[in-house]
Amino acid sequence: MELDEFRRSLDDWLDQNDHLLRPGGAAGATLDEQMAQLAVVKRLTYDAGFMRWGWPERVGGLGGSSILRAYLGEALTFRGLVEPGIYSMTEVLAPTMIDYAAPELAATMVPRLLRGDETWCQGFSEPGTGSNLASLSCRATRTDDGWRVSGQKVWTSLAQYAQRCVLLTRTGAPDSAHRGITALFVDMDSAGVEVRPIETMHGAPEFSEVFFDDVAVPFDRTLGTEGQGWSVAMDLLPHERSTALWHRAAYLQQRLAGLLGAAPAGALEPAAVGEVAQLLFALRARSRATQRRLAAGERLGPETSVDKVLVAMAEQAVFDLVADGLAADVATGDDPDAARWRREYLYSRAATIYGGTAEIQRNIIARRLLDLGSDR
Amino acid sequence: MDGAERDVFERGLRHAVEAHTGAALDAALLELGWRDALAHDTHEAVSVFFTLQGSAHVSSSALDRVLACAIDLDVPPSSGFVLPPLGRWDPPGELDRDRLAVRGLGTSCLPAAATAVVVARAVNTDVAFCVPTTELTLRPVQGMDPGLGLVEVHGTVAKDALAPEVVSPSWPASVALAQLAVGYELVGAARTMLELARQHALTRTQFGQPVARFQAVRHRLAETLVAIEAAEGVLDAAWEDRSPVVAAVAKALAGRGARTASRHCQQVLAGIGFTTEHEFHRYARRVVVLDGLFGASRALTRELGADVLAARQLPAFAPL
Repeated sequence: MELDEFRRSLDDWLDQNDHLLRPGGAAGATLDEQMAQLAVVKRLTYDAGFMRWGWPERVGGLGGSSILRAYLGEALTFRGLVEPGIYSMTEVLAPTMIDYAAPELAATMVPRLLRGDETWCQGFSEPGTGSNLASLSCRATRTDDGWRVSGQKVWTSLAQYAQRCVLLTRTGAPDSAHRGITALFVDMDSAGVEVRPIETMHGAPEFSEVFFDDVAVPFDRTLGTEGQGWSVAMDLLPHERSTALWHRAAYLQQRLAGLLGAAPAGALEPAAVGEVAQLLFALRARSRATQRRLAAGERLGPETSVDKVLVAMAEQAVFDLVADGLAADVATGDDPDAARWRREYLYSRAATIYGGTAEIQRNIIARRLLDLGSDR
Repeated sequence: MDGAERDVFERGLRHAVEAHTGAALDAALLELGWRDALAHDTHEAVSVFFTLQGSAHVSSSALDRVLACAIDLDVPPSSGFVLPPLGRWDPPGELDRDRLAVRGLGTSCLPAAATAVVVARAVNTDVAFCVPTTELTLRPVQGMDPGLGLVEVHGTVAKDALAPEVVSPSWPASVALAQLAVGYELVGAARTMLELARQHALTRTQFGQPVARFQAVRHRLAETLVAIEAAEGVLDAAWEDRSPVVAAVAKALAGRGARTASRHCQQVLAGIGFTTEHEFHRYARRVVVLDGLFGASRALTRELGADVLAARQLPAFAPL
């Protein structure tokens, strides 16, 4: 399947099935509504085949270039059919399963994620482990019949909806840093897992605290081998900064277009609009090159931190412009459109924090791309 | 060009910019077949050479050849071009009833050239005139960056003495190609500034450690790299999109990125970067002037914003 053919048939299909893809009329205001909408879209696009292109056949895909996935997410985002943040979790977690899970586990599980039957989450951060991921302490202990996991995770996106969790655990000595980490694929309905959603500033309980109290995890749920968890995490992060990021860029473009349509005459300064537009051009050019490298089978690495810095800058720049151009809506408006602008503005404040802070990205660039040596 | 051909091409040009500047570099380019490359593979010829020219802090009249290539007129090979005045990107010639008024800049080749090509806007079209340079007043520019070898051009010529030729593609397409060329030169200069600052940060010791250890220093250099990569990404994408809008965005990002690089790198170089003992100042001077060639970043940004506001949408850009 070539991109041009995929684009044509997908666009036609989306035109014809818009009423089915949008049963509630819009992407939804609450997280519950957005999750329900996402399940509808994933199911329909999977059954029609579009969601399966770009994934290997051994996990239920139809093969073909990962560029097809980038285009699918872009098309769904441009049409306002999905919220890109929750849609793109697939782009982050499915590649990890494909690369590190036992083949039969990946073959069973990945189709459920693609089809929208299941939601998965990513258990990385902990109360004492934010930027310094290698210091995590959620403990997995080896027993005769599997792992026993005890500890706590935090900022776990969508945990309250998730059936599974890609979980980083400490299996080495407490001070073993990145060497003693093991990744596990955990069923969220296991005895001893407790999820407490966190109220956030933008009003959607997108993150949760997750508690593990002596949770049993079979050995065949180990991703990679014992002690390989750091590699799993390091290989996962570039996926957060490739296809998922292309979808985010599409979302920012779509929202800027919305702003241009909604802002009162004279509310926006040409110079400010020009600068934001240029940033979106830069993000899209950079991310397109990354999509092509991924499609060519290149291994993505620290250079994707540049993409991440650009997307965070672009997201905050777009919504800073929203706060200027639609000041009354954002500050004092109470209709649904105003509430959405406000929610998105507030969420954009996290763009330089989640998925590796702006400072961590600059540290990576300094050390790995500029070869400035260790900072310690 | 395939990978191996490109490597040979780049190596030849690298030697040329390391050894020559000005007229000698023009001669070296001729010998290396760069003009032929420009005609056959404009993308490689422009991106590779102008990055090297910026990086090595040399000058040439390659920009004149880029304009000749874009305008696609049969101009004498020794003729120079009149570029728009600093900060502007409209044609440098203005027609009134019977005269052609010329105001702009030229590269270092113009004083020795017999003719200068001047593009002017006529009704519904752009026309080019070959003007004898003896009819024009040329002032060698010292200014911020004497080494660049620019000349300021002005003059008024009787139209009857000249044969106008219709320019096709029109001036905006020529501006777009020139913007990409100057954009790559800015990126090349910014990369050298970053490397100078990087070397300094690794070798300069304070408080018992290289200043590269300090996060404040590291982050300035990281931001410099992001600014450079952002500009270069759009420059590279512009060859696919082939739209004047994208070229202008690329030029604006390159100008702003190079000035960001200059600010951060100068701060990291600190005292030594403020002296003429260190070569940094030559790059800092150059990027200020290059930012103004074919539209300064600030003006290009404002114009893009005004266009986007008028259309109430972003131009389509970078399809997968």
